[in-house]
Amino acid sequence: MPDVPALLAMPAMPIISVSKLKKYYKVHQKEPGLGGSIRSLFHRKYYDVKAVDGVSFTIEEGELIGFIGPNGAGKTTTLKVLSGLLYPTSGDVSVLGYTPWDRKPAFQKQFSLVMGQKNQLWWDLPAIESFILNKEIYEVPDDKYKKTLDELVDLLEVKDILKIQVRKLSLGQRMKMELIAALIHSPKILFLDEPTIGLDVVMQKKMRDFIKEYNKHYNATVILTSHYMDDVKELCKRVIIIDKGKILFDGALDEIIKKFANHKLLTVVFSKKVDQKDLKSIGQVKEFDFPKAVISVKRASASLAAAELLQNFPVADLNIEEAQIEDIIREVFTGRDLA
Amino acid sequence: MTFFLWTSIFSQNEIAFGYSKSQMMAYVFSVLIISTFVIAAPSNDNIGGEISNGDLSNYLLKPVNYLKYWLTRDWASKLLNMMFAVGEIGILFIIFRPQLSFTSSPVLLLLGVIACILASLIYYLITKLAVMVSFWMPENTWGLMFLFLVFFEILSGTLFPLDVLPSWGLNLLQFTPFPYMVYFPIEILIGKFGVIETMRILLFSLAWLVVSYFWVNKMWKAGLKTYSAAGR
Repeated sequence: MPDVPALLAMPAMPIISVSKLKKYYKVHQKEPGLGGSIRSLFHRKYYDVKAVDGVSFTIEEGELIGFIGPNGAGKTTTLKVLSGLLYPTSGDVSVLGYTPWDRKPAFQKQFSLVMGQKNQLWWDLPAIESFILNKEIYEVPDDKYKKTLDELVDLLEVKDILKIQVRKLSLGQRMKMELIAALIHSPKILFLDEPTIGLDVVMQKKMRDFIKEYNKHYNATVILTSHYMDDVKELCKRVIIIDKGKILFDGALDEIIKKFANHKLLTVVFSKKVDQKDLKSIGQVKEFDFPKAVISVKRASASLAAAELLQNFPVADLNIEEAQIEDIIREVFTGRDLA
Repeated sequence: MTFFLWTSIFSQNEIAFGYSKSQMMAYVFSVLIISTFVIAAPSNDNIGGEISNGDLSNYLLKPVNYLKYWLTRDWASKLLNMMFAVGEIGILFIIFRPQLSFTSSPVLLLLGVIACILASLIYYLITKLAVMVSFWMPENTWGLMFLFLVFFEILSGTLFPLDVLPSWGLNLLQFTPFPYMVYFPIEILIGKFGVIETMRILLFSLAWLVVSYFWVNKMWKAGLKTYSAAGR
C-alpha cells in the first residue's frame, strides 16, 4: 500500500469535534393546583438544568460510537446540538466542518437523526410516499434514489409493506421504515437515538445487524445512544459514558473494565454445606444460593483469594470472571464503589 | 344574514353609506369569496402544536424552510376551499339573484387580484406572529389567535365595509394592517377607487408585507434559540 506513509504523515481530520460544549435549560417550578398556577404568574423561580456541562470529544470518519448514560444524562441533548436543533449555551462544535445550528442545507443533506420515539413518516400515507417526499427535499437524483431504496428495502426485508398506510404497521415495521426514510439521501453521519426502544429481541437483533452493515458498507459514521447494553456491546468499539452532563469515560469498551472494575467475581460451586458467614473472610458475598456462591474480591488479590477458597472450603468448581459490564456501568452511575 | 340585513336597509333607501344596493351585494359576496382565500389557513391550527410538542424538529433537520413549507400547504388548502366556495356561492347566487356590480376596468380587476394575493400573504405572516408565541408559551396560541380574530373581524371589513364608520375611523385604520386584508382589496374589485388611489393602497399593502416579514423573521430566529426540541 503506497499511500500509507502519506496517511500517517497527515492524520485524518475528525468528522465531528466538540469542545467544552454546555447546554443549560432554564426551567421554572410550579406548585400544583390553580393557586400554584396563579402564584407562578407573578413569582417564578427559575433555575438552570445543566443538561450538558462541558463535554469535549472528537470522532473520526467511519467510527461507530455508543453514547451511554442513564435517563437525563445529556445524551439526547448532545445529539440535538450536533444535529443543529439546539443552540448550545457555550462551547464549539464542528460537524463535517459546519456549525450545526447554522442549519446550512449543504450540511443537512449529509446527516440524519433518527429518534426511536419520534416519527417523521406521514401517518396516513404509505411509507413510500414519505420516501418520495424526502427524495425531493434532499434532491436525490432518480437513479440514485432507486438504487438506495432497493438496497435498503432488501436489507430490511420490507418489500411487501411499502405501500401500506404507516398507521397500520407494527412498531418494528414502522421503525424499519423510519430508518429507510432517514437514509434515503445516504447520509455520511447517522445519529441514532434509542433505535431499538420498544422493539422485541428478534427485531433488536435485526436492527443491530443492519446498523453494523450500514456502517461497514457505506463507511458511515454512526453515533448511537441506547439504554440496552447489548446494543452497545455488539456494535461499538468505542463508547462514551455520560452522566449528569459530564463525560465519565471515553474509550474502548474493554477499557471500561480495566478502569472501573477493580474487583473480580469468583463463582464457586461447593460440594458440601458451608456457612455463608465463613465466606466473608474471602471477600464480599454477592450471591449465596447453595451450592453456588458469587464472591467479589479485589482484582489484585483474586488469585490469592481463589487459592484460599480451594484450601479451606469443599470446592467442586471455581470460576474467576470479570464483572459484567452492565454491573460496572450501573455502579459507575450510582457512584458507589464496586464491591 | 348579512345579506338580509343589507336587503332590508336598501328596501328603504336607494343609496346607503355611499353604496348602491348592487355594490353592497357585491361587497357581501366578495367577503364570502375573499375570506376563503385570505383567511383559511391550516397552518394556524398546526404550527403552535408542532412547536410545542417538538414535531418541528423533523423539519429543522432537513433542508426545508418551515414557514415556506406551511405557506405552500396553506395555498393548497385555499385552492381546495375556493373550489367548494365557488360551488356554494353559485348556489346562493341562483337562489337570491343579487345584482352585483364590479369594476369594468381590466386594469383595476388585475390590481384587485394582486391586492388579494398581498392580503393573503400579510394575513399569513401576521397570524404567524401570534402562533410563534408557542416558542415561549407552549400551547397558548389559541387564546391569542382568538383575540386576533375578534379584532380582525371588526377592523378588516369582514362584517361591514369600513367606510360605514365615521371618516376618522377609516383614516385611523389605514395605518393598521387590517383593512388591507379584506376591505381595500374588495373595494378595488367593486370599482370604488381609481388607478392612482389603488396604486397607493397597493404600496401600503406592500409596506405591511415587508414589515410583517421582517418581524416574522426576527421572531422565528429568536424562537429557534429558545426552542428545546421537546419530545422526550
